[in-house]
Amino acid sequence: MPDSTRSQLLRGYAPIAIVIALLALVPLWSGDSRSMMTVVTTGLAFGAYAVAFNLIFGSTGQLFLCVGALAGIGGFGSAILSERTAIPFVVTMLLAMVLAAGFGALLSWVAVSRSLDTIFTGIVTLAFSLSFENFVLGRQDLTGGENGLRVEAGSDTVLGGQISPYYVFLAMLAAYLVLFRIIQTSHFGWAFRALRDDEVAAELSGIDVARYRIYAAAVGSAMLGLTGATFAHYRSFIGDSTYAFGNVDVRVLVMLAFGGIGTVLGPVIGATVFTVVDELLVDYASLREVIYGVVTLVLFLSFRQGAVPAFTGAVGRLLGGGRTLGSAAVEDGSGGAPEPPDGGGPGGSPADEVATEETAESR
Amino acid sequence: MGAVLVDGFVLGLQFGILGVGLTLVYGLGGVVNLAHGQMAVMAAIVTARLIDRGVSTAIAIVIGIAAAGLLGIIIDRTIMQPVYRDQTDHRVLLGLLLMLGVGFVIDGVLEWRYPIEALNLRVGGDPVSLFGLKIRRGSIWASAIIGLIGVALVLFFRFTTFGRATRSVIQDEEGARLCGINPAMVRTVIFGLSGALAGSVAMIQAMTSPVVSTAGVGLTIFALIVAVVGGLGSVSGAFLAGILLGIVNTLSAFYIGTFVSSIILVAAAAITILLRPQGLLSRA
Repeated sequence: MPDSTRSQLLRGYAPIAIVIALLALVPLWSGDSRSMMTVVTTGLAFGAYAVAFNLIFGSTGQLFLCVGALAGIGGFGSAILSERTAIPFVVTMLLAMVLAAGFGALLSWVAVSRSLDTIFTGIVTLAFSLSFENFVLGRQDLTGGENGLRVEAGSDTVLGGQISPYYVFLAMLAAYLVLFRIIQTSHFGWAFRALRDDEVAAELSGIDVARYRIYAAAVGSAMLGLTGATFAHYRSFIGDSTYAFGNVDVRVLVMLAFGGIGTVLGPVIGATVFTVVDELLVDYASLREVIYGVVTLVLFLSFRQGAVPAFTGAVGRLLGGGRTLGSAAVEDGSGGAPEPPDGGGPGGSPADEVATEETAESR
Repeated sequence: MGAVLVDGFVLGLQFGILGVGLTLVYGLGGVVNLAHGQMAVMAAIVTARLIDRGVSTAIAIVIGIAAAGLLGIIIDRTIMQPVYRDQTDHRVLLGLLLMLGVGFVIDGVLEWRYPIEALNLRVGGDPVSLFGLKIRRGSIWASAIIGLIGVALVLFFRFTTFGRATRSVIQDEEGARLCGINPAMVRTVIFGLSGALAGSVAMIQAMTSPVVSTAGVGLTIFALIVAVVGGLGSVSGAFLAGILLGIVNTLSAFYIGTFVSSIILVAAAAITILLRPQGLLSRA
């Protein structure tokens, strides 16, 4: 018994540890360049956003189209509080986190208390994003509007260095991944899975579907708020574009869809890949949204499991069951039978089979 | 106050038409078109480009609207097909995500190619006095055109065979199929009609204020809120909700500030979902 628990622990947390250890090496080659460090640190922040979004969307199927707005509540909330009051910025970050969690829970409560919740979640959160952006532009006295806001607090701490912020975000990402994994293996995780697989059956077996959705939204929004707040103190300048829908939500959705919705490491893989892609395409920055849109369409039309799980699944089959890091992450991610909320057929068909099926169908 | 009310009414009519297009597509195929506003803006930018190149305004407007309609038909016939085939619970989510992707692409192309392009069809001349109110000529034209569109829609859905077929598919797709109606064909035509309606709204809006190439997401969200408040799938509900929300939006923007009006709109959607999820008009 203790032996199997230990191997389970290894299986669950070893991939996380390996990925974090690999990411910890990144400053070895990028540490000399301040701009490169900004790129990779921002990449980690997006990884953290994607893990939080994964908890809300991947685990409970709530399409929260307000990732940027919730992060922005954290960022602007902490920035404004720390500038205008004497509260230390670490405390304002936590307060802003709680504020974001409250908004996330409220949005989820509005949407999931009725049937048609998939649609309502998308609509309410998208509308919320718009009103957040209008608020940032409209209340110039608080947020600086189009001129942006200088965030002084935190610049004389670890968040002000060249390399140290990277490790702050890395620690945050590691904590989020572990938390995600803990939630997944707890009774919450079982409830999430049950309501994702068959909502009616879950409800009939006594799971309060709406309540679990609201919990997931609150925890995920708290992560978003904390990351957004940390990002604000790290960048020491935030503006209306820092948390804009087009800059945050679009990227986070593509990262998650690419890495594999509902998997533990998918968000990190997606964030890594798209941070590199963004750097490669830095001369075509204005084309970025087009590319992201096309990638979204291709991903959801052909690989509903996410490109990485489909790829590692195919590789794993070629190698005759040889396990790669990615496929291990996938299997752990959803208890052996990965099925993202938008997956096609019923039952737990292996990732590779579904992916080839869908590709054939879409042609 | 009076002039603001008139502005709100005109805006509300535009919201109404946007919401009707969205709600029709949802009613027929279960697809929430998250690219509705982007389709409208695309039509506006097509028209603006054509006018820049010396095409006469009337022809440019017709081509712009037709382009949006054609885009709707293409989307329906291509990337929406897997959604229509999917009979599981995930269908709605897949539709949402794909339309979101379409929205990103349209927005991205507009931002990339025409970041500062805008369509301006401002109707000149002095304001007209009507019942003691000074009303802009553009507003009068806009309301007249929307009135015509509204009447045409009502006549279409009540008295033409195709309109009746559409309503029957919304009510019961299987039943309609048994009566010899082809739901796929109805869906395609209505998706095109919805795009053309969105394009028309962009043209009408350009008569009072310029339509910029970044306006898409905002228009989409207005349309979504209107469709939710009106009750998804209800055409008359969407029209009524559009007028109501247009007036509320303009009044609050005028007296308090734009950011408050968008918060009020979100609150309106939230309250509707909580209290009357079936919409304003329909009975529970």
